[in-house]
Amino acid sequence: MINSPKHLKYSKKMSPWAMARKKFMKNKLAMVSTCFLLFVIVISFLAPYITTTDITRVNIGETSLPPSSDHWLGTDKSGRDVYTRLLYGGRVSLMVGISVTFIVISFGSLIGSIAGYFGGVVDNLLMRFTDFVLNFPFLVFVIVLNAILFGTVSGVWVLIIVISLLSWGGTARIVRSKILAEKENEYIIAAQSIGTSSAKVIIRHLLPNVISAIIVQATLLFAGMIAVEAALSYLNFGVPQTVPSWGNMLSSANEPDVLQGKPWIWIPPALALIVTILSINFIGEGLKDALNPKSTR
Amino acid sequence: MKELKKIEEDHELLRVKNLKKYYPIHGGFFKRKIGDVKAVDRISLTLKKGETFGLVGESGCGKSTAGRTILRLTNATDGEIIFDNQDITRLRGRKLREVRRHFQMVFQDPYASLNPKMMVGHIVDEPIRNYSSNNHRDIRPKVKQLLNKVGLREEDYYKYPHEFSGGQRQRIGIARALALNPKLIVADEPVSALDVSIQSQVLNLLKDIQEVFDLTYLFIAHDLSVVKHMSDRIGVMYLGNLVEVATKQDMYKNPMHPYTQALTSAIPNPNPLRRKERIILKGDVPSPQHPPSGCVFHTRCPMAMEACKKVVPELKEVRPNHQVACLLYDR
Repeated sequence: MINSPKHLKYSKKMSPWAMARKKFMKNKLAMVSTCFLLFVIVISFLAPYITTTDITRVNIGETSLPPSSDHWLGTDKSGRDVYTRLLYGGRVSLMVGISVTFIVISFGSLIGSIAGYFGGVVDNLLMRFTDFVLNFPFLVFVIVLNAILFGTVSGVWVLIIVISLLSWGGTARIVRSKILAEKENEYIIAAQSIGTSSAKVIIRHLLPNVISAIIVQATLLFAGMIAVEAALSYLNFGVPQTVPSWGNMLSSANEPDVLQGKPWIWIPPALALIVTILSINFIGEGLKDALNPKSTR
Repeated sequence: MKELKKIEEDHELLRVKNLKKYYPIHGGFFKRKIGDVKAVDRISLTLKKGETFGLVGESGCGKSTAGRTILRLTNATDGEIIFDNQDITRLRGRKLREVRRHFQMVFQDPYASLNPKMMVGHIVDEPIRNYSSNNHRDIRPKVKQLLNKVGLREEDYYKYPHEFSGGQRQRIGIARALALNPKLIVADEPVSALDVSIQSQVLNLLKDIQEVFDLTYLFIAHDLSVVKHMSDRIGVMYLGNLVEVATKQDMYKNPMHPYTQALTSAIPNPNPLRRKERIILKGDVPSPQHPPSGCVFHTRCPMAMEACKKVVPELKEVRPNHQVACLLYDR
């Protein structure tokens, strides 16, 4: 598919979705990124079957060992295998990213489309509430909410819920503005004139026509949320220290001797973060082009 | 001309009484209401079952707004809309949805009025699905039949709007309007966005299906020759007001309102010997936010009198089946 001729021939019977898919498949960078991301997701979630070392085992005799045939990426200060932790950490980081994105996109789209479609008082109320949430100072609230919720749900989910609660506002605004523009089209009033209910107008007509913006927003969020998780965990406000995540692994690098003398402890998670976030962004870029009928790239 | 159409003289399908549609203007520091755009200002008309009523007027005169208000796509500010002996002016929710199936609309812009992400078959079957629990497959044969009736092919069911030309898209829109077997169709400038060569095809399609489906049309247009081809009776609108209503023949042979006279004199006549002198109106259409006092046309009327500035002329039957709102005939 990647080597298809320069000029894409869209057969006349193609749905708008099929055309977008074909365009996306032609974008090499995006396809390579997709393969890489899938690879990362697969090995992270298959971590228990790939790795042999026990993740929680602390081995005082083997602290801070450089890479060897026993420990491919060495061990950290507590003697835990870095390679194993990298895979398990990816699992946590990706799960946080995917879950937060899913919650934020669903809730943000719901609020945004209702506000945009109905307008008037409904719009005013929902958007003022959105502004209210957007005004929360992120870091302070994450710390406070983390402390309040700690222990009520299992470790990682505290962070997922807290970040989601604070991040849906932007998506709601974007979806609302797209819906506002889209609902001026005559096919919306046509749908009303044939007796389509408001919920169906939004689901059948409006959302499919703004989905491209939502998908692109989702990829940006996904990349952003992985970075947020890493940043919070680095500051020790993220997932609990007992759970490995790329951010938690990085936080050991705030000791000068690790940063200077033991790069095998922090370079693997840092690289994994950078390459994963980059590839998600490339995918988002590719989707943006593919879903925009006007771009010819 | 085939005049096979049966107009049921005593069956009044639609009666509109003193319909008003004002759009409030908010301004100032507290966003208070500071005025109204009088898009439709007290129009009254009746449609008999089976007839085609043409509504003409220049752009911005409120004819599209009138059409949409009559179909309850926007709420009327005042007045009454009686459809098939039922007052639908204030219906809401489920009751409104229930009557909606009896009147449909054909839209002006065939490019904007079809959802680009939906298959043609699903666009056309949506009205049916809205009023029944059928799924796509149940009604596929019926929808394909419908596509055939509007001059499309059965395999067009599986295509998407972007694969069609403007005229074909308008046919899709017509098929959607027909899906529920409505009694009334409001056609809002259905051909003004189309190529001239395609216009006549779509107009003839509309005429043909009127006979097959027993339809009544409210035909909105600004092209006088199109209206003449389509309508039985014609109403002329100016600045939100209905100034003259007459049968087609009367309207073109013997226009009475000075505005209608100016309009009809502007129709190009291919025969140079029969060309009449054109009446050129001076000035622009006044803003509907501040319509002139008295007769709204007095600022541009070549025959305006002093009284026209003060007295609002009523639409009155001056001759049989010929109503005019003008003080010239007010004695």
